[in-house]
Amino acid sequence: MLQTMPNHIVHIIAFMICCRLFSIEIFHETKATFFNCHFTKGKLIYYFSIDNINTSLSVVNSNMTITINPAIKVINLQKKFGNIKAVDDVSFEIEEGSIVGILGPNGAGKTTTIRLITGIFQLGSSSQVQIFSNDLTNSPKLLKKKFGIVPEISNAYSDLTVWQNLRFSGTIYGLSNKEITTRAEILLKRFELQDKTHAKTKTLSKGLKQRLNLCLALLHEPPILILDEPMTGLDPFSVNIVRNQILEFKRENKTILITTHNMQEAERVCDRILIMNKGKIIADETPELLLKKIKPASTMVFTLKNDLSYEQNTELNSLFPLMEQKAYQISIVSNTPFKDIMKLGDFLEKNKLSILDFKLQESTLEEVFIHLIKNDIKGGINNVQA
Amino acid sequence: MFKHDLKIVLTLAQKNFILYIKKGSVLIFGLLFPFFMLISWILGRSISPDQIIIGIISMTSFFTATAVSPVILPIETREKSLERLFAAPVSLMQILLGIILASALYSFGISSIITLIFLLIYRILALSFISVLAIYLGIFLMALLGSLIGLLISAKPSDQTSDIMVIINLIKFPLLFLGGVFIPLSNLSTYGSILNLVSPLTYLTELLRGVVNKSSIIPPGFNILILCIWIALLSIINYYIHKRTMPKRFSEVSNSKNMMKKVKLK
Repeated sequence: MLQTMPNHIVHIIAFMICCRLFSIEIFHETKATFFNCHFTKGKLIYYFSIDNINTSLSVVNSNMTITINPAIKVINLQKKFGNIKAVDDVSFEIEEGSIVGILGPNGAGKTTTIRLITGIFQLGSSSQVQIFSNDLTNSPKLLKKKFGIVPEISNAYSDLTVWQNLRFSGTIYGLSNKEITTRAEILLKRFELQDKTHAKTKTLSKGLKQRLNLCLALLHEPPILILDEPMTGLDPFSVNIVRNQILEFKRENKTILITTHNMQEAERVCDRILIMNKGKIIADETPELLLKKIKPASTMVFTLKNDLSYEQNTELNSLFPLMEQKAYQISIVSNTPFKDIMKLGDFLEKNKLSILDFKLQESTLEEVFIHLIKNDIKGGINNVQA
Repeated sequence: MFKHDLKIVLTLAQKNFILYIKKGSVLIFGLLFPFFMLISWILGRSISPDQIIIGIISMTSFFTATAVSPVILPIETREKSLERLFAAPVSLMQILLGIILASALYSFGISSIITLIFLLIYRILALSFISVLAIYLGIFLMALLGSLIGLLISAKPSDQTSDIMVIINLIKFPLLFLGGVFIPLSNLSTYGSILNLVSPLTYLTELLRGVVNKSSIIPPGFNILILCIWIALLSIINYYIHKRTMPKRFSEVSNSKNMMKKVKLK
């Protein structure tokens, strides 16, 4: 919950009075932390954060109940394509003003989840999507205005100019011509696209197209932004612009849902990460917690002098299930490297095998992520934790 | 609320009009094809001016009406702009109306100009104001009807215009030959006439015959009524079929299946 007050002393006094006047109840044993503050535009901003985002905070007195609900609440999302379960019983909540990343390999169900949330796919009878406590199926047109969507591949009309695209988008979101002109000019300046106003979209580079997508998504000033792989294929300069803008949105208290393959990028910008695999959410943690669980892994990389026999290969595989072999080079992800080096030494000695080189390198998050996904991340994380 | 909904439909139609009337397939199947068909029909034959006017008006309005509407959805599926529309506060009905309106305007515009030119050359002095009005009403109804036929064919959730153009041509030509353009309904046998009644184009050609030289079997008012019934029926069918097939356009699985089929064929 974000509260803006003219000065912090008044706020503290007011808060103390409120605590006296109202009885504050925090359900489900949630720990609430107060305060975290900084100055913006001459105003002191206090952050009142709740550790468990699944819990609602109610301020109650005899006649009044104020409940703070999540920006997005997804209940039992399901989607099948033929026999394939693209999204399988997915439920989560996203707190207003937070950045949540959905990570997963291709085909994990990230984009389908977004399409269900944004109303592109019809929801099944048991599924429910709530936007600021309103059911999406009850008032889809109204609630779709709450979203600004940035797709992975630009879907702006390629034969229309930048300006025509903005005008078209503004009109279908119900903005007046004056509003469109004012907001478009601000956005074009913000994303450094003023020179391209009358250029056809198909003549823009990928980075510029992505900036146009951001303009289109922000034109109707939505409180929720959904970004589908926003940085894929962009040059470092454009990545930097998009990343800075995401952080800027957070400062503007926009709720952001972002899908990505990129673990490092998610770690930089997200408050919370959901990992999806085979249509299910298999991890839902803050980046810090997720890193704690998977970062300690290292990778042993060595090159064998000779090829392994079938029996030797089977034995090595049973010793190190997270092993990968490329010709004579073998990589083994290990959470206990020193113990595993000893184990490997014993194996090599027993089988009279020689190695040409050996290095122990700290696994990148990406490598660990890939390994964990391959071995069904749920078990993987538990193993690493153990 | 209605004003805003209407504004969205007009904006969508404007966008469709700007983007798609210059597409290659629209120019080929909407303008060049009927032009060369007409030339091959007229040249070297002794056809009466009335018959030429009826043929030209019917063929132009039928071909132009079925040229724009079938290409929009496949192109927008491929370019993902359809997904953008669905994520926006726009209903399926508005998207379909935007396509029909753009296609009908394109057809009505071109057919009107061509009709005016030929009426000026041949018959304008002999026709009453009501008759000219009836011709233009017929063209307008055919523009709507042809757009609906094109839209219905594009309900196949494909992202390739060629897939749709093959099907539309398979349907368009039998309807054209059964439509009484080349052989009037009055010259056909009983079975031939019954078969001709299946084609909606028959009612336009009959309307034009009734107005131009009073040689129709079906009265003009009845032709207009049947054209309106066709429009109403196709509108309802279009809505329900598109509602059913639309989600398949966004399904990565079905798209990849199509892709796999193509790769296998190659």
